[in-house]
Amino acid sequence: MAFEGVQMFSSTSVSLENEARATPLDDLENVVALYQPRVFRFLLATLRDRDAAENLTQETFLRAWSARASFREDCSLATWLIRIALNLARDHTRTGRFRFWKRVTASAVDVAEVAAFVPTQEGSAEAHLIAKQQVASIWETVAGLSARQRNIFLLRFMEEMEIPEIATVTGLPLGTVKSHLYRALAIIRAQHDFSPNNTTTHNATTKETE
Amino acid sequence: MTPQLTTEQLAAQAGTTDRAPLGETHLTGEQFGELMGRTPGTASPEVAAAEAHLLVCEQCAAEFASLREAISLFREASNAYADEELRSRPRWILPVRRSHSQSLIPAYWVAAAAMFLTALLPLQVMRRHTLAPPAAGVSSVAVSNAASDTQSDEALLEDVNSEISASVPTSMQALADPTADARTVNNETSVSTTNQRKD
Repeated sequence: MAFEGVQMFSSTSVSLENEARATPLDDLENVVALYQPRVFRFLLATLRDRDAAENLTQETFLRAWSARASFREDCSLATWLIRIALNLARDHTRTGRFRFWKRVTASAVDVAEVAAFVPTQEGSAEAHLIAKQQVASIWETVAGLSARQRNIFLLRFMEEMEIPEIATVTGLPLGTVKSHLYRALAIIRAQHDFSPNNTTTHNATTKETE
Repeated sequence: MTPQLTTEQLAAQAGTTDRAPLGETHLTGEQFGELMGRTPGTASPEVAAAEAHLLVCEQCAAEFASLREAISLFREASNAYADEELRSRPRWILPVRRSHSQSLIPAYWVAAAAMFLTALLPLQVMRRHTLAPPAAGVSSVAVSNAASDTQSDEALLEDVNSEISASVPTSMQALADPTADARTVNNETSVSTTNQRKD
């Protein structure tokens, strides 16, 4: 009986300890400063809507703060936050309202605006124009991918996450993640000829500049 | 349509030092994917074979480099655009830090408890007044009030009794002895005349 009592006491104290356990999210200001750009970038590329991306970024941190006790540190805080953001984006895009407003919203991302941010590299102005066109084209192709392919592509190539990390974020098996990623890449390769003999883009750009 | 290499073929090719001529055999989409999605430092046999192929196939190497470059530019442009967009937006007002809010929690409870008790106390007092027997102090005041009331009642009754028992009521006194008033009137008149004479 006494032993049971001791056991009960120890289990209670352990649960209290867990409740009072400090989490990295305790310093919310610092967490937001560190991860807000990353979460926002991902959501902006996924949703292609600035206002929705900002709202969901805020929602991500709010959810994370509310559920901070459940963060067991079995993955990095960034992975955990991106997982929350991904779930929110998924819920958001499921609603019919989003599909309607996506067509008419004023805060939708303009591809040309994104392409304007292509870093200026050493080389001709023509090469820079080609690069801009290529980026705009990839942006549009990514937008046309299925939600799962797009998310996995963005997690790999924008967030630079490793495949196992993407599997953790998406909750998908490694093989599924790989196959979605390969399909996304195949679509992008099919849409854009990256072969060295390709002159289509070059010709189009030179015509534009003329 | 260019023939695709199997892993075994790629591995065999990786062993050769000669460069494969353009258009002979090339990497499959999956192999491109393996190369693009590989984790640095962890090379599977498939990735090793594909990497080896890149060393000998100029076309695949150029295409891979071009694809990697385009995706890298896509990342840089998207990130720069997102960062600029975020900078242009107003900063959030964050809630107070946990340490502050947690230290305030007991204070909130104490304040809430105090308010509850403050609200409860008058109700409790009212309830006591209606239900509980009167206290000693309250009863003594009530008893003294009752005693004084009884005394005044008795005095009033005595007055009534004396009025009734009297042969002539007070209001009829003047009629009972009419000379009494006349005498007093005369006396008063004589006094006033003597005073006038003195003047």
